[in-house]
Amino acid sequence: MVDRDNFTKVAEVGDIPEGEGEGFDVDGIEVAVFNTGDDYYAINNRCSHQRAPLCKAGDEKINAEDTWTGERGGLNAEACTVSCPWHLWEWDLETGEHEASGQRIGTFDCVVDDDDILVRI
Amino acid sequence: MEPSVRRLESDAEVPDEAFEDEIIDLDFHVNPLEDELLEYVEDDRAYDKLTTEFGATPVMGKWDAAYGIKEGQEGLFTQGRAKYAEDVQEACESIAVDEPIVNAGINNLNHQHHPVLKNAVAQAANDYMLDHFADEGIYTSMMVPKWDPDYAVEEIERMADENNIVGAYSWFDPKVPWGNEQFDPVFEALVEHDLPLLLHGSLAYWPQHSYIGDDMLTWTEVLGFDWPIHAMVNVVNMIMRGVFDKYPDLDVVIQEGGHWWVPFLRYRMDEFYEMHPEDIQITPRKMDSGERYLERAPSEYLRDNIYLCTQPFALPRNAREAESLLDLSMADDMFIYSSDWPHQTLDPPTWFYTSRAFDDHTKEQILSGNAKEILDI
Repeated sequence: MVDRDNFTKVAEVGDIPEGEGEGFDVDGIEVAVFNTGDDYYAINNRCSHQRAPLCKAGDEKINAEDTWTGERGGLNAEACTVSCPWHLWEWDLETGEHEASGQRIGTFDCVVDDDDILVRI
Repeated sequence: MEPSVRRLESDAEVPDEAFEDEIIDLDFHVNPLEDELLEYVEDDRAYDKLTTEFGATPVMGKWDAAYGIKEGQEGLFTQGRAKYAEDVQEACESIAVDEPIVNAGINNLNHQHHPVLKNAVAQAANDYMLDHFADEGIYTSMMVPKWDPDYAVEEIERMADENNIVGAYSWFDPKVPWGNEQFDPVFEALVEHDLPLLLHGSLAYWPQHSYIGDDMLTWTEVLGFDWPIHAMVNVVNMIMRGVFDKYPDLDVVIQEGGHWWVPFLRYRMDEFYEMHPEDIQITPRKMDSGERYLERAPSEYLRDNIYLCTQPFALPRNAREAESLLDLSMADDMFIYSSDWPHQTLDPPTWFYTSRAFDDHTKEQILSGNAKEILDI
Protein backbone atom coordinates (compact mmCIF):
# COMPACT_ATOMS: atom_id res chain seq x y z
CA MET A 1 0.00 0.00 0.00
CA VAL A 2 1.56 3.28 -1.10
CA ASP A 3 0.95 6.45 0.85
CA ARG A 4 0.29 8.61 -2.17
CA ASP A 5 0.40 11.78 -0.09
CA ASN A 6 4.17 11.44 0.03
CA PHE A 7 4.58 10.75 -3.68
CA THR A 8 4.09 12.68 -6.89
CA LYS A 9 2.76 11.09 -10.04
CA VAL A 10 5.09 11.77 -12.96
CA ALA A 11 3.83 9.33 -15.60
CA GLU A 12 1.82 6.21 -16.25
CA VAL A 13 3.00 2.71 -17.04
CA GLY A 14 3.60 2.63 -20.79
CA ASP A 15 4.79 6.23 -20.97
CA ILE A 16 8.45 5.26 -20.48
CA PRO A 17 9.52 2.44 -22.80
CA GLU A 18 11.54 -0.42 -21.35
CA GLY A 19 15.27 0.34 -21.45
CA GLU A 20 14.71 4.08 -21.65
CA GLY A 21 14.34 7.10 -19.42
CA GLU A 22 12.35 10.33 -19.28
CA GLY A 23 13.04 13.62 -17.54
CA PHE A 24 10.59 15.48 -15.34
CA ASP A 25 10.56 18.78 -13.50
CA VAL A 26 8.83 18.20 -10.17
CA ASP A 27 8.36 21.46 -8.32
CA GLY A 28 11.58 22.77 -9.85
CA ILE A 29 13.62 19.63 -9.20
CA GLU A 30 14.81 17.76 -12.28
CA VAL A 31 14.36 14.00 -12.02
CA ALA A 32 15.20 11.31 -14.57
CA VAL A 33 13.06 8.16 -14.37
CA PHE A 34 14.33 4.95 -15.98
CA ASN A 35 12.46 1.76 -16.83
CA THR A 36 14.73 -1.30 -16.52
CA GLY A 37 11.90 -3.69 -17.36
CA ASP A 38 11.72 -5.02 -13.80
CA ASP A 39 11.51 -1.70 -12.03
CA TYR A 40 11.44 2.05 -12.34
CA TYR A 41 14.27 4.15 -10.87
CA ALA A 42 14.37 7.89 -10.24
CA ILE A 43 17.66 9.82 -10.05
CA ASN A 44 18.80 13.44 -10.16
CA ASN A 45 18.66 14.44 -13.82
CA ARG A 46 22.01 16.25 -13.77
CA CYS A 47 25.37 14.49 -13.88
CA SER A 48 27.62 15.98 -11.21
CA HIS A 49 30.55 16.19 -13.61
CA GLN A 50 29.29 18.84 -16.00
CA ARG A 51 25.50 18.91 -15.50
CA ALA A 52 24.60 16.86 -18.57
CA PRO A 53 20.92 15.82 -18.60
CA LEU A 54 20.84 12.11 -17.75
CA CYS A 55 17.36 11.76 -19.25
CA LYS A 56 19.07 12.05 -22.65
CA ALA A 57 21.09 8.88 -21.98
CA GLY A 58 20.32 6.36 -24.69
CA ASP A 59 19.29 9.00 -27.25
CA GLU A 60 20.22 8.09 -30.79
CA LYS A 61 23.42 9.65 -32.11
CA ILE A 62 23.51 11.87 -35.16
CA ASN A 63 24.03 9.49 -38.10
CA ALA A 64 23.93 6.56 -35.69
CA GLU A 65 24.15 4.13 -38.60
CA ASP A 66 27.72 5.28 -39.21
CA THR A 67 28.83 4.74 -35.63
CA TRP A 68 29.22 1.52 -33.66
CA THR A 69 27.14 1.91 -30.50
CA GLY A 70 24.39 4.07 -31.98
CA GLU A 71 23.39 5.69 -28.69
CA ARG A 72 24.77 8.37 -26.41
CA GLY A 73 25.38 6.55 -23.14
CA GLY A 74 22.33 4.69 -21.92
CA LEU A 75 20.65 2.41 -19.42
CA ASN A 76 22.27 -0.86 -18.39
CA ALA A 77 19.31 -2.76 -16.92
CA GLU A 78 21.36 -5.73 -15.75
CA ALA A 79 23.86 -3.60 -13.85
CA CYS A 80 21.14 -1.14 -12.87
CA THR A 81 23.22 1.82 -14.00
CA VAL A 82 22.89 4.69 -16.42
CA SER A 83 25.82 6.18 -18.31
CA CYS A 84 25.87 9.90 -19.02
CA PRO A 85 25.25 10.98 -22.64
CA TRP A 86 28.27 13.30 -22.66
CA HIS A 87 31.21 11.50 -21.02
CA LEU A 88 29.79 8.10 -20.08
CA TRP A 89 30.07 8.60 -16.32
CA GLU A 90 28.25 5.55 -15.00
CA TRP A 91 25.73 6.16 -12.20
CA ASP A 92 24.27 3.45 -9.95
CA LEU A 93 20.51 3.93 -10.09
CA GLU A 94 19.98 2.53 -6.60
CA THR A 95 22.69 4.38 -4.72
CA GLY A 96 23.42 7.35 -6.98
CA GLU A 97 27.12 6.54 -6.81
CA HIS A 98 29.77 6.98 -9.48
CA GLU A 99 32.22 4.28 -8.51
CA ALA A 100 35.42 5.71 -10.00
CA SER A 101 35.14 9.12 -8.32
CA GLY A 102 33.09 8.17 -5.28
CA GLN A 103 30.73 11.05 -6.05
CA ARG A 104 27.02 10.65 -5.44
CA ILE A 105 23.94 12.32 -6.85
CA GLY A 106 20.44 12.15 -5.42
CA THR A 107 18.13 9.20 -5.94
CA PHE A 108 14.41 9.15 -5.20
CA ASP A 109 11.99 6.44 -4.18
CA CYS A 110 10.02 5.42 -7.22
CA VAL A 111 7.01 3.06 -7.18
CA VAL A 112 4.16 1.97 -9.39
CA ASP A 113 0.67 2.19 -7.93
CA ASP A 114 -2.41 1.47 -9.94
CA ASP A 115 -0.42 1.96 -13.17
CA ASP A 116 0.80 5.35 -11.99
CA ILE A 117 4.57 5.95 -11.74
CA LEU A 118 5.15 7.83 -8.51
CA VAL A 119 8.27 9.58 -7.24
CA ARG A 120 8.95 10.73 -3.68
CA ILE A 121 10.83 14.04 -3.72
CA MET B 1 -1.28 22.40 -3.05
CA GLU B 2 -0.81 19.99 -5.94
CA PRO B 3 2.83 19.63 -6.96
CA SER B 4 3.81 20.96 -10.36
CA VAL B 5 5.01 18.24 -12.74
CA ARG B 6 6.36 18.91 -16.20
CA ARG B 7 7.97 16.53 -18.67
CA LEU B 8 11.40 17.76 -19.83
CA GLU B 9 11.02 17.90 -23.58
CA SER B 10 13.50 20.57 -24.60
CA ASP B 11 16.38 19.58 -26.86
CA ALA B 12 18.59 22.06 -25.02
CA GLU B 13 21.30 20.35 -23.00
CA VAL B 14 23.02 23.41 -21.53
CA PRO B 15 21.70 26.24 -19.33
CA ASP B 16 19.22 28.65 -20.96
CA GLU B 17 21.60 31.61 -20.52
CA ALA B 18 24.03 29.98 -22.94
CA PHE B 19 21.54 30.53 -25.74
CA GLU B 20 21.59 34.28 -25.07
CA ASP B 21 25.35 34.58 -25.62
CA GLU B 22 27.30 34.43 -28.86
CA ILE B 23 29.34 31.23 -28.80
CA ILE B 24 32.04 30.35 -31.34
CA ASP B 25 33.41 26.80 -31.18
CA LEU B 26 36.91 26.59 -32.62
CA ASP B 27 37.28 22.81 -32.63
CA PHE B 28 34.35 20.98 -34.15
CA HIS B 29 35.16 17.73 -35.94
CA VAL B 30 33.27 16.31 -38.86
CA ASN B 31 33.92 12.77 -40.07
CA PRO B 32 33.35 12.10 -43.76
CA LEU B 33 32.71 8.52 -44.74
CA GLU B 34 35.84 7.07 -46.33
CA ASP B 35 34.19 6.27 -49.66
CA GLU B 36 32.68 9.74 -49.98
CA LEU B 37 35.98 11.38 -49.09
CA LEU B 38 38.00 9.34 -51.57
CA GLU B 39 35.72 10.36 -54.43
CA TYR B 40 37.39 13.76 -54.12
CA VAL B 41 40.94 12.44 -54.71
CA GLU B 42 42.03 14.00 -57.99
CA ASP B 43 45.11 11.96 -58.82
CA ASP B 44 44.12 8.63 -60.42
CA ARG B 45 47.24 6.86 -59.25
CA ALA B 46 46.74 7.90 -55.66
CA TYR B 47 43.04 7.06 -55.89
CA ASP B 48 43.86 3.58 -57.16
CA LYS B 49 46.19 2.85 -54.25
CA LEU B 50 43.93 4.42 -51.65
CA THR B 51 41.03 2.24 -52.74
CA THR B 52 42.90 -1.07 -52.74
CA GLU B 53 42.58 -3.50 -49.87
CA PHE B 54 45.14 -1.43 -47.98
CA GLY B 55 42.51 1.24 -47.49
CA ALA B 56 42.74 4.94 -47.12
CA THR B 57 44.54 5.20 -43.84
CA PRO B 58 47.55 2.86 -43.60
CA VAL B 59 48.92 4.01 -40.27
CA MET B 60 52.27 2.82 -38.96
CA GLY B 61 51.92 0.40 -36.06
CA LYS B 62 50.81 2.30 -33.03
CA TRP B 63 49.42 1.69 -29.63
CA ASP B 64 46.19 3.47 -28.89
CA ALA B 65 44.80 5.14 -25.81
CA ALA B 66 41.24 4.00 -26.41
CA TYR B 67 41.42 1.27 -23.75
CA GLY B 68 40.66 4.00 -21.21
CA ILE B 69 37.30 4.75 -22.74
CA LYS B 70 34.19 2.77 -21.88
CA GLU B 71 33.35 2.30 -25.54
CA GLY B 72 36.90 2.10 -26.90
CA GLN B 73 37.42 3.67 -30.32
CA GLU B 74 33.77 4.65 -30.32
CA GLY B 75 34.97 7.45 -28.05
CA LEU B 76 35.69 9.30 -31.28
CA PHE B 77 31.96 9.20 -31.99
CA THR B 78 30.50 9.58 -28.50
CA GLN B 79 27.98 12.14 -29.75
CA GLY B 80 27.56 10.92 -33.31
CA ARG B 81 29.11 11.54 -36.68
CA ALA B 82 28.67 14.74 -38.67
CA LYS B 83 29.03 14.19 -42.39
CA TYR B 84 27.23 17.24 -43.78
CA ALA B 85 26.34 20.79 -42.81
CA GLU B 86 22.90 19.90 -41.46
CA ASP B 87 24.45 17.41 -39.04
CA VAL B 88 26.64 20.14 -37.60
CA GLN B 89 23.72 22.51 -37.29
CA GLU B 90 21.66 19.89 -35.46
CA ALA B 91 24.48 19.17 -33.01
CA CYS B 92 25.08 22.84 -32.29
CA GLU B 93 21.45 23.56 -31.46
CA SER B 94 21.48 21.50 -28.28
CA ILE B 95 24.73 22.94 -26.90
CA ALA B 96 24.09 26.60 -27.83
CA VAL B 97 26.98 26.93 -30.28
CA ASP B 98 26.29 29.70 -32.81
CA GLU B 99 29.33 29.42 -35.03
CA PRO B 100 31.22 26.12 -35.20
CA ILE B 101 34.56 26.23 -37.01
CA VAL B 102 34.64 22.78 -38.56
CA ASN B 103 37.59 20.65 -39.61
CA ALA B 104 37.83 17.34 -41.44
CA GLY B 105 39.05 15.62 -38.30
CA ILE B 106 41.44 13.15 -39.93
CA ASN B 107 43.85 13.37 -37.06
CA ASN B 108 45.80 10.24 -37.88
CA LEU B 109 46.73 11.54 -41.34
CA ASN B 110 49.87 13.20 -40.04
CA HIS B 111 50.98 9.81 -38.73
CA GLN B 112 50.44 7.87 -41.94
CA HIS B 113 53.43 6.73 -43.89
CA HIS B 114 53.24 7.70 -47.54
CA PRO B 115 53.62 11.42 -48.27
CA VAL B 116 52.07 11.28 -51.73
CA LEU B 117 49.00 9.42 -50.52
CA LYS B 118 48.76 11.75 -47.54
CA ASN B 119 48.79 14.75 -49.85
CA ALA B 120 46.03 13.14 -51.90
CA VAL B 121 43.89 12.69 -48.80
CA ALA B 122 44.57 16.27 -47.71
CA GLN B 123 43.50 17.56 -51.14
CA ALA B 124 40.39 15.40 -51.03
CA ALA B 125 39.54 16.50 -47.49
CA ASN B 126 39.83 20.15 -48.43
CA ASP B 127 37.58 19.74 -51.46
CA TYR B 128 35.06 17.69 -49.47
CA MET B 129 34.95 20.40 -46.79
CA LEU B 130 34.56 23.07 -49.42
CA ASP B 131 31.61 21.32 -51.04
CA HIS B 132 29.79 20.16 -47.94
CA PHE B 133 30.56 22.88 -45.41
CA ALA B 134 32.19 26.10 -46.63
CA ASP B 135 29.84 26.35 -49.60
CA GLU B 136 26.94 25.60 -47.26
CA GLY B 137 27.74 28.59 -45.08
CA ILE B 138 29.70 26.83 -42.32
CA TYR B 139 33.02 28.37 -41.32
CA THR B 140 35.73 25.86 -42.14
CA SER B 141 39.41 25.32 -41.36
CA MET B 142 41.28 23.89 -44.32
CA MET B 143 43.80 21.11 -43.83
CA VAL B 144 47.51 21.97 -44.05
CA PRO B 145 49.87 19.03 -44.76
CA LYS B 146 52.63 19.55 -42.21
CA TRP B 147 54.81 16.83 -43.75
CA ASP B 148 55.19 18.72 -47.02
CA PRO B 149 55.58 22.51 -46.61
CA ASP B 150 55.69 23.10 -50.38
CA TYR B 151 52.40 21.33 -50.86
CA ALA B 152 51.04 23.07 -47.78
CA VAL B 153 51.66 26.42 -49.45
CA GLU B 154 50.04 25.17 -52.66
CA GLU B 155 46.94 24.14 -50.76
CA ILE B 156 46.79 27.43 -48.86
CA GLU B 157 47.03 29.34 -52.15
CA ARG B 158 44.30 27.15 -53.65
CA MET B 159 41.90 27.34 -50.73
CA ALA B 160 42.47 30.56 -48.83
CA ASP B 161 40.26 32.84 -50.89
CA GLU B 162 37.29 30.50 -50.95
CA ASN B 163 34.29 31.74 -49.00
CA ASN B 164 34.10 30.67 -45.36
CA ILE B 165 37.63 29.29 -45.17
CA VAL B 166 38.74 30.97 -41.96
CA GLY B 167 41.63 28.93 -40.61
CA ALA B 168 44.39 26.50 -41.51
CA TYR B 169 44.32 23.22 -39.60
CA SER B 170 47.39 21.13 -38.94
CA TRP B 171 48.98 19.31 -35.99
CA PHE B 172 51.54 19.65 -33.24
CA ASP B 173 53.41 16.43 -32.62
CA PRO B 174 56.69 14.91 -31.45
CA LYS B 175 58.25 15.30 -34.88
CA VAL B 176 59.73 18.50 -36.31
CA PRO B 177 58.49 21.39 -34.14
CA TRP B 178 56.85 24.37 -35.76
CA GLY B 179 59.71 26.72 -34.93
CA ASN B 180 61.80 25.04 -37.62
CA GLU B 181 62.63 27.35 -40.53
CA GLN B 182 61.28 24.88 -43.10
CA PHE B 183 57.82 26.21 -42.21
CA ASP B 184 58.59 29.85 -43.08
CA PRO B 185 56.90 29.61 -46.51
CA VAL B 186 53.79 28.27 -44.77
CA PHE B 187 53.84 31.16 -42.29
CA GLU B 188 54.29 33.65 -45.13
CA ALA B 189 51.28 32.26 -46.98
CA LEU B 190 49.15 32.25 -43.85
CA VAL B 191 50.02 35.84 -42.98
CA GLU B 192 49.43 36.93 -46.55
CA HIS B 193 45.96 35.41 -46.48
CA ASP B 194 45.27 36.41 -42.88
CA LEU B 195 44.60 32.84 -41.77
CA PRO B 196 45.41 31.65 -38.25
CA LEU B 197 47.32 28.38 -37.93
CA LEU B 198 45.29 25.90 -35.88
CA LEU B 199 47.48 23.15 -34.43
CA HIS B 200 45.59 20.15 -33.12
CA GLY B 201 46.92 17.14 -31.24
CA SER B 202 47.85 14.40 -33.66
CA LEU B 203 46.41 11.07 -32.59
CA ALA B 204 48.35 9.94 -29.58
CA TYR B 205 51.58 8.61 -30.97
CA TRP B 206 54.26 9.38 -28.53
CA PRO B 207 53.59 6.03 -26.84
CA GLN B 208 55.94 4.11 -29.03
CA HIS B 209 59.56 4.34 -30.05
CA SER B 210 60.57 6.23 -26.90
CA TYR B 211 61.36 4.97 -23.42
CA ILE B 212 58.79 7.17 -21.70
CA GLY B 213 56.17 6.68 -24.36
CA ASP B 214 56.53 2.92 -24.34
CA ASP B 215 55.72 2.89 -20.63
CA MET B 216 52.61 5.01 -20.92
CA LEU B 217 49.72 2.61 -20.43
CA THR B 218 46.81 4.90 -19.66
CA TRP B 219 44.60 7.34 -21.48
CA THR B 220 45.12 9.91 -18.73
CA GLU B 221 48.85 9.98 -19.42
CA VAL B 222 48.65 9.88 -23.19
CA LEU B 223 45.85 12.26 -24.02
CA GLY B 224 45.97 14.23 -20.80
CA PHE B 225 49.68 14.91 -20.69
CA ASP B 226 51.47 13.71 -23.82
CA TRP B 227 49.63 16.25 -25.95
CA PRO B 228 50.17 19.22 -23.62
CA ILE B 229 53.87 18.42 -23.33
CA HIS B 230 54.24 18.59 -27.09
CA ALA B 231 52.00 21.65 -27.29
CA MET B 232 54.26 23.45 -24.83
CA VAL B 233 57.42 22.35 -26.61
CA ASN B 234 56.08 23.61 -29.95
CA VAL B 235 54.98 26.97 -28.53
CA VAL B 236 58.31 27.61 -26.80
CA ASN B 237 60.18 26.47 -29.91
CA MET B 238 58.31 28.96 -32.09
CA ILE B 239 58.84 31.82 -29.67
CA MET B 240 62.53 31.25 -28.91
CA ARG B 241 63.41 30.59 -32.52
CA GLY B 242 62.08 33.97 -33.55
CA VAL B 243 59.02 32.95 -35.57
CA PHE B 244 56.99 35.86 -34.23
CA ASP B 245 59.71 38.43 -34.75
CA LYS B 246 59.78 37.45 -38.40
CA TYR B 247 55.99 37.02 -38.63
CA PRO B 248 54.48 39.34 -35.99
CA ASP B 249 51.02 39.00 -37.54
CA LEU B 250 50.97 35.21 -37.36
CA ASP B 251 48.32 33.84 -35.00
CA VAL B 252 48.65 30.27 -33.74
CA VAL B 253 45.90 28.34 -31.97
CA ILE B 254 46.70 25.20 -29.99
CA GLN B 255 43.77 22.79 -30.02
CA GLU B 256 43.45 20.14 -27.35
CA GLY B 257 46.93 20.82 -26.04
CA GLY B 258 45.83 22.05 -22.63
CA HIS B 259 45.72 25.61 -21.37
CA TRP B 260 46.44 25.74 -17.65
CA TRP B 261 50.19 25.54 -18.36
CA VAL B 262 50.29 29.21 -19.37
CA PRO B 263 51.49 30.48 -15.95
CA PHE B 264 54.33 27.96 -16.00
CA LEU B 265 55.46 28.99 -19.46
CA ARG B 266 55.12 32.72 -19.14
CA TYR B 267 57.23 33.05 -16.00
CA ARG B 268 59.72 30.33 -16.78
CA MET B 269 60.41 31.47 -20.35
CA ASP B 270 61.09 35.05 -19.20
CA GLU B 271 63.23 33.91 -16.29
CA PHE B 272 65.45 31.69 -18.40
CA TYR B 273 65.67 34.03 -21.38
CA GLU B 274 66.53 37.11 -19.37
CA MET B 275 69.16 35.19 -17.41
CA HIS B 276 70.99 33.82 -20.44
CA PRO B 277 69.88 35.13 -23.86
CA GLU B 278 73.21 34.85 -25.69
CA ASP B 279 72.23 31.85 -27.80
CA ILE B 280 69.30 33.63 -29.46
CA GLN B 281 71.69 35.31 -31.94
CA ILE B 282 72.82 31.96 -33.31
CA THR B 283 69.35 30.65 -34.11
CA PRO B 284 68.86 30.58 -37.89
CA ARG B 285 66.37 33.43 -38.26
CA LYS B 286 68.47 35.71 -36.05
CA MET B 287 71.62 34.70 -37.96
CA ASP B 288 69.87 35.96 -41.09
CA SER B 289 68.57 39.16 -39.57
CA GLY B 290 71.68 39.93 -37.54
CA GLU B 291 69.60 40.60 -34.44
CA ARG B 292 71.05 39.63 -31.11
CA TYR B 293 67.93 39.18 -29.02
CA LEU B 294 64.21 38.65 -29.32
CA GLU B 295 62.40 41.91 -29.85
CA ARG B 296 60.16 41.34 -26.82
CA ALA B 297 59.98 39.27 -23.67
CA PRO B 298 58.97 35.67 -24.50
CA SER B 299 55.74 35.94 -22.49
CA GLU B 300 54.59 38.82 -24.68
CA TYR B 301 54.53 36.60 -27.76
CA LEU B 302 52.60 34.09 -25.74
CA ARG B 303 49.96 36.70 -24.95
CA ASP B 304 49.78 38.23 -28.42
CA ASN B 305 50.41 35.42 -30.91
CA ILE B 306 49.26 32.24 -29.19
CA TYR B 307 45.67 31.19 -28.47
CA LEU B 308 44.55 28.08 -26.65
CA CYS B 309 41.36 26.11 -27.10
CA THR B 310 39.82 25.28 -23.75
CA GLN B 311 38.54 21.74 -24.16
CA PRO B 312 38.36 20.05 -21.75
CA PHE B 313 38.22 23.08 -19.48
CA ALA B 314 38.78 21.20 -16.19
CA LEU B 315 37.95 24.27 -14.15
CA PRO B 316 38.81 24.23 -10.43
CA ARG B 317 35.61 23.81 -8.41
CA ASN B 318 36.50 26.69 -6.11
CA ALA B 319 35.47 29.86 -7.96
CA ARG B 320 38.09 32.08 -6.35
CA GLU B 321 40.87 29.68 -7.27
CA ALA B 322 39.45 29.35 -10.77
CA GLU B 323 39.32 33.13 -11.19
CA SER B 324 42.96 33.46 -10.13
CA LEU B 325 44.00 30.73 -12.50
CA LEU B 326 42.13 32.37 -15.38
CA ASP B 327 43.92 35.62 -14.60
CA LEU B 328 47.38 34.03 -14.36
CA SER B 329 46.67 32.18 -17.60
CA MET B 330 45.87 35.40 -19.48
CA ALA B 331 42.54 33.85 -20.41
CA ASP B 332 41.11 37.20 -21.53
CA ASP B 333 43.75 37.32 -24.25
CA MET B 334 44.49 33.67 -24.99
CA PHE B 335 41.57 31.31 -24.36
CA ILE B 336 39.07 30.33 -27.05
CA TYR B 337 36.12 28.06 -26.37
CA SER B 338 36.02 24.69 -28.12
CA SER B 339 33.66 21.73 -27.78
CA ASP B 340 35.64 18.99 -29.60
CA TRP B 341 32.28 17.58 -30.76
CA PRO B 342 31.76 14.59 -31.14
CA HIS B 343 34.69 13.19 -29.13
CA GLN B 344 34.85 11.62 -25.69
CA THR B 345 36.14 14.80 -24.06
CA LEU B 346 33.23 16.86 -25.39
CA ASP B 347 33.00 20.20 -23.61
CA PRO B 348 29.63 21.92 -23.86
CA PRO B 349 29.85 25.51 -22.57
CA THR B 350 28.38 24.73 -19.16
CA TRP B 351 31.39 25.99 -17.17
CA PHE B 352 30.57 29.59 -17.96
CA TYR B 353 27.12 29.30 -16.42
CA THR B 354 27.79 27.07 -13.42
CA SER B 355 30.89 28.79 -11.99
CA ARG B 356 31.20 32.30 -10.56
CA ALA B 357 34.80 32.49 -11.74
CA PHE B 358 33.96 34.30 -14.99
CA ASP B 359 33.17 38.01 -15.11
CA ASP B 360 31.25 39.22 -18.16
CA HIS B 361 34.37 40.34 -20.01
CA THR B 362 36.28 37.10 -19.50
CA LYS B 363 33.28 35.04 -20.51
CA GLU B 364 32.75 37.06 -23.68
CA GLN B 365 36.42 36.94 -24.63
CA ILE B 366 36.58 33.16 -24.31
CA LEU B 367 33.23 32.42 -25.91
CA SER B 368 33.61 34.72 -28.90
CA GLY B 369 35.89 37.78 -28.52
CA ASN B 370 39.27 36.15 -28.97
CA ALA B 371 38.05 33.99 -31.83
CA LYS B 372 36.64 37.00 -33.67
CA GLU B 373 39.95 38.78 -33.25
CA ILE B 374 41.78 36.20 -35.35
CA LEU B 375 39.07 34.81 -37.63
CA ASP B 376 37.61 36.71 -40.53
CA ILE B 377 33.98 36.06 -39.58
